[in-house]
Amino acid sequence: MEPLKIPATSNTPEVDFDFDQNRFCLKGESHPEDVTAFYQPVMDPLEAHLGNHGDGTCEFVLEFIYFNSSSAKIVMTLMDLIDEAAEAGATVNVKWVYDPEDDNMLELGEEFGEDLEHAKFELVAQESE
Amino acid sequence: MLATDLYDLRKTLMQSGVMFAYSGYMTEQVRLAVGETLKQKLSMEEADTKTVRSVFAVFVEQMQNVIRYSAERVPEEETPEVTELSFGILTIGKEGNEYVLLSGNLIRSEDTERVSEKLREIQGMNHDQLKRFYKDKLREGPDEYSQGAGIGFIEIARRASRPIEFDFAKVDDRHSFFALKANI
Repeated sequence: MEPLKIPATSNTPEVDFDFDQNRFCLKGESHPEDVTAFYQPVMDPLEAHLGNHGDGTCEFVLEFIYFNSSSAKIVMTLMDLIDEAAEAGATVNVKWVYDPEDDNMLELGEEFGEDLEHAKFELVAQESE
Repeated sequence: MLATDLYDLRKTLMQSGVMFAYSGYMTEQVRLAVGETLKQKLSMEEADTKTVRSVFAVFVEQMQNVIRYSAERVPEEETPEVTELSFGILTIGKEGNEYVLLSGNLIRSEDTERVSEKLREIQGMNHDQLKRFYKDKLREGPDEYSQGAGIGFIEIARRASRPIEFDFAKVDDRHSFFALKANI
């Protein structure tokens, strides 16, 4: 399957989904004008892919600087998809990368990571540039 | 007269520490444009990263709250081809070392009780309770008041450095003005 790559904008994150390598990254800010319009074309292929994943390995890197409350719903849905794939037999590693200067993102990582019962979750401090 | 009047308005705002003021029709385009300028201005200040991001986060939630729920909108009747415009006011300023964000819009008077109940509940929560409430609300999905997840207020309260304040003023038979304040 073709990779899905969307460059970051001031209000939407960079999307880098490599379905063949099973590596999925979201990076940046998320407060789109229309959450559904932005995320539906991103989440639909991911959901289809994970649904047929079986027992391989896949990696998620979530590196949000900020997401608004409407995007939080998407993050929660994403966590559910990830955990379902892991429950179905896949080995799933999730890295939540946060800016050490902003503990809001660390706190949100802890909160969302809590929901993962089958996937491996890791909080990683972003290295300063 | 023209310059004096306008300058007086500007002076009134500046004396109360306001650095951004917007009163008028709000759309997502306005939110994104003002948001970028706000980010630029905040990056020039001495505030730390966490404060800057929290001010921005509260700005986003307040503005989206007005866009979604202001009872003052044109056109009044839903027309599929026309994007609705919501009227509201939002200011961002400083009180001492704290940033202060104020937003206001008209709401239907029958909604005031429901909104204040919700806000009083949030006001009474500490940080850990707010965290839990945020997650619970995300799981629950939209409630009857909101098109969104209804968690904008919780997000604002989580980011604020002390309990959020709110107030209502009766405007006419059908409407009240709703004001919301957050300090960061």
